[in-house]
Amino acid sequence: MVAMKSYTASGSCTAQVLATLAQTLAEAQPFTADFLCVFYDALHDDQAITLFLAGGGSIGLLLVQDPDGDYGTAAIRLQGNAADCAERALQAALHDAGCPGELPELVWIYQAPGQEEAVIEGLRRIVSDRCPIIGGSSADDDIGGRWRQLGPDGPLCDGLVVSVLFPSGGISHAFQGGYEPSGHSGTITRVGATAAAGGAARHIIAIDEQPAAEIYNRWLGGALEPQLAAGRIGEVRCHRLIHPERILPGGALSTFAQVEEGMRLYAMRGHKSHLVERAGLVAAAAAASLPGGANTLAGALVVYCAGCMFAVGEDMPQVAQAVAQRLAGAPFVGCFTFGEQGAMQGRNMHGNLMISAIAFGK
Amino acid sequence: MEDTEKLRETIICMRREIDSLRTENLHSQLLLSALDAVLCTSSEGDLFSGVFAAIKPVFECSLALVLLELHPGSDAVQCVATSRPELMHHSWPVGPFLHKVLAGRTVSGVADPLLDAWPQGPSGTLSAQQPALYLPLLIQGRRSLMVLVREPHQSGFDRSHVALARKFSLLGTHVMAAQRATLKEAESRRLRELQDKLQTSRDALRFRANHDQLTGLPNRAHVQELVTALIARKPPGGKLALAFINLDDFKRVNDLHGHAAGDALLREVTARVQSQIRQADVFGRINGDEFVIALDPVGQSSDVAQVIERIRARLQQPLTLHGTQIQPSASIGVAMFPAHGGDYETLRRNADLAMNRAKAAGKGGLDFFTPDLGREAQERLSLEQRLRDAVSAGEFCCALQRKVDIRSGAITGFEALARWVDAEGVMRMPGQFLPLASRLQLLDDIALQVVDDLTRNLPQLDAMFGTAIKYSINVSPAQAIDTDFMRRLTQRLPSGQAQRFIVELTEESLADTGLLEAHVLPMLRQAGVHVSIDDFGTGYSSLSKLASLTVDELKIDRSLVQTIQQLPRNQLILRAIESLGTALGLSIVAEGIETEQERDFLLANTAITMGQGFLFHKPQLIATLVGETPSMPSPAPDRLESA
Repeated sequence: MVAMKSYTASGSCTAQVLATLAQTLAEAQPFTADFLCVFYDALHDDQAITLFLAGGGSIGLLLVQDPDGDYGTAAIRLQGNAADCAERALQAALHDAGCPGELPELVWIYQAPGQEEAVIEGLRRIVSDRCPIIGGSSADDDIGGRWRQLGPDGPLCDGLVVSVLFPSGGISHAFQGGYEPSGHSGTITRVGATAAAGGAARHIIAIDEQPAAEIYNRWLGGALEPQLAAGRIGEVRCHRLIHPERILPGGALSTFAQVEEGMRLYAMRGHKSHLVERAGLVAAAAAASLPGGANTLAGALVVYCAGCMFAVGEDMPQVAQAVAQRLAGAPFVGCFTFGEQGAMQGRNMHGNLMISAIAFGK
Repeated sequence: MEDTEKLRETIICMRREIDSLRTENLHSQLLLSALDAVLCTSSEGDLFSGVFAAIKPVFECSLALVLLELHPGSDAVQCVATSRPELMHHSWPVGPFLHKVLAGRTVSGVADPLLDAWPQGPSGTLSAQQPALYLPLLIQGRRSLMVLVREPHQSGFDRSHVALARKFSLLGTHVMAAQRATLKEAESRRLRELQDKLQTSRDALRFRANHDQLTGLPNRAHVQELVTALIARKPPGGKLALAFINLDDFKRVNDLHGHAAGDALLREVTARVQSQIRQADVFGRINGDEFVIALDPVGQSSDVAQVIERIRARLQQPLTLHGTQIQPSASIGVAMFPAHGGDYETLRRNADLAMNRAKAAGKGGLDFFTPDLGREAQERLSLEQRLRDAVSAGEFCCALQRKVDIRSGAITGFEALARWVDAEGVMRMPGQFLPLASRLQLLDDIALQVVDDLTRNLPQLDAMFGTAIKYSINVSPAQAIDTDFMRRLTQRLPSGQAQRFIVELTEESLADTGLLEAHVLPMLRQAGVHVSIDDFGTGYSSLSKLASLTVDELKIDRSLVQTIQQLPRNQLILRAIESLGTALGLSIVAEGIETEQERDFLLANTAITMGQGFLFHKPQLIATLVGETPSMPSPAPDRLESA
């Protein structure tokens, strides 16, 4: 039987937040967590939070009690070959779960931005697309590089945290974007790799043999919202979204996701209201996909792109409310990321401006 | 845009539901196919093959196998079903990975260089590089797992396969249970067939154990069972007749015509008797030439006599065996239930007594058991037991009768005679027990006890009569050619005094002199023991044999001595014997001299100097002879008879 609890606390400083959270936990019924997720603002004191967790407290906690399931976590610094690091981390997580050699129900990752495709490649060496890889790239408040990832042994700033989940009550996920095509499209005719991306191509140099930025700009009238067609479901396309980072000299576009020559790009547009509703819809879709159906939902973990968060702005509480409503009051916790990893059409991938949800069954 | 978004969302949801339904439908199809494979497979077919055929296209696997825990809690599993025969019965150790599957987890494997999750198969038939899906099964309470394996170039099993496998695991458990149950049924059928064969074999063995191989008739033990059962079912007042049949001179048929003829005779006898009795009557062969018939039901004895008479007449009809005409005959005795016995053994024994009386009266006779026959038998049985007990108790002793020089009356020797003196002091003469002792094969023990009594008292006898006295010991014809007995007898004689002993052989002993001449006489000679021919003139003496044998003495039978003075022909024979003995250098002893006239005639008309008889001395027990106890009356003159 799976039970979940979620807690949040806010304050002007880490100590205050931790104190509030500690009191909340003390007043709550005892709960033994087999798996916990914690997300906190980048301003917080890592050491204090780590110490608090070691003592049983957290900020933005999602606690999963599942004695019949297996869970394991491992963390690694993404130094050198990110794919190799990811592969090692996944193996370590499986061993930590006591499930070496077993295909997990789901792999959760949380990593420093920049090498997501390489990480997925490394993870896919072991699990391929046989199980979903869901997660996000850690974010900060101003894209200043002060993002951190919290692993079993403490925080990392250039790390990858991999968790393998074998819940006893079933698990499901949804991975969707909150945008739709605007009508313009073109083919990437030239790309460029970046060292920071581990050699992966995150530079769109040319679209339809023309400078990418120009084409893009033409499409959106100056808006920078890249997308990539991922496939079709019937007559409805599912799009992996790519967020342009900046315009490079020569009219190239750098992106937060990998691109390939020959890839068809579709200009996407979004609407605040859709972005607000989308989180709830994604959560509902995840819950509906539980083996036992939505009425077996125990709780959820939601990943919401920081870019969407910025776009939603002051309506963010409505996002939370939409999720809570769709989850019928089940505990959940959400995080905001600078990149999202998930499975679309059975293929694990990295995207931007995506919303994903992991639903835990009872 | 909102409408477009909602429409898009609706389509996405519908699509998701359709996908879910499609997946569920696919799963259902698989499960139904597997179930159909179970139902359509014959009871003797391989259910697993059908199931595997059903799941293979869905899971896209190339190999499936079922591994069963060797025993509860075992650390090894064994392949009990597989699509690849070379893996059958192969065993693998249960590590943490397989242990988890056995505990109930469905697992799709991923590569782990540190994990030997996928054990190698024989001759490299399996590889750790091959994607595998493990699903737990329960086979009749024993943990097991099914492993689906793909080729190395294929992708691994994903979560949808895991989800489907979980559903299939339950069905698979039932399928394997059904397979086992079906195997049980097939096994049961094979067991039944085997049981039938065993039953047939057992019946055949039982028949062989209960029946005579030659004639097919019930054997001794089975006859007893059958008759006992008949008796048990008899109502009050019910009667049954038991006839004991003994073939006359059957041994002669074997000796003269061979055992094949003897067997043919037995089969003919069987057929003849069966033709005269009813189906319900019991007819069995209990011995070499002995049969038993139980006639049930019967009325009066006269009715039984008619049936038996008919059987007897049928048996006596001539038959030709190997070109030789044989006139078979059988002596038959009959005992009636319940008058002559309440159980099989008593009836058989009494019928046997009656048969013996019939045989004694003449071959081919018929007799019914009577109470006096029973009494005689009972007395005989009682005497037999007493005789055996007497031998065990050492109640046999030696009586001595003098052999004298008839001219002077001087004692020249003694003849040892057997006497049975029981614990109460009652003495029995040889005629009362020797024939029975011979039948019971007790003669040797009795003779040795007599010899022991003599040799034990020899010092006293020597003190009284001197050491020149010779002692004669009687042996039967059977004992005379029994080298073992004669050796034992000789060994009992006092060392260095064997020449003082004479072994008396009857003329009957000379009928077959082979062993006597070859072994016994040389042994006696070597020991120094003398040999005498007893009761000479009454037996089957062959003069040529007498010439070939080396004996020391002839004892003329009393029948030739009795009233010799009045019988001229006996006188002539006596003189002839005397001449013969003298010519051969033998000592001559006249036995049974009871009157002075007989003595006087011998003295006046013959050169016979030694004699024996009541005129000179009546046999006395040694103890009496040496004066230790008062003389006991001798009931009647008698001698140690040859059996």
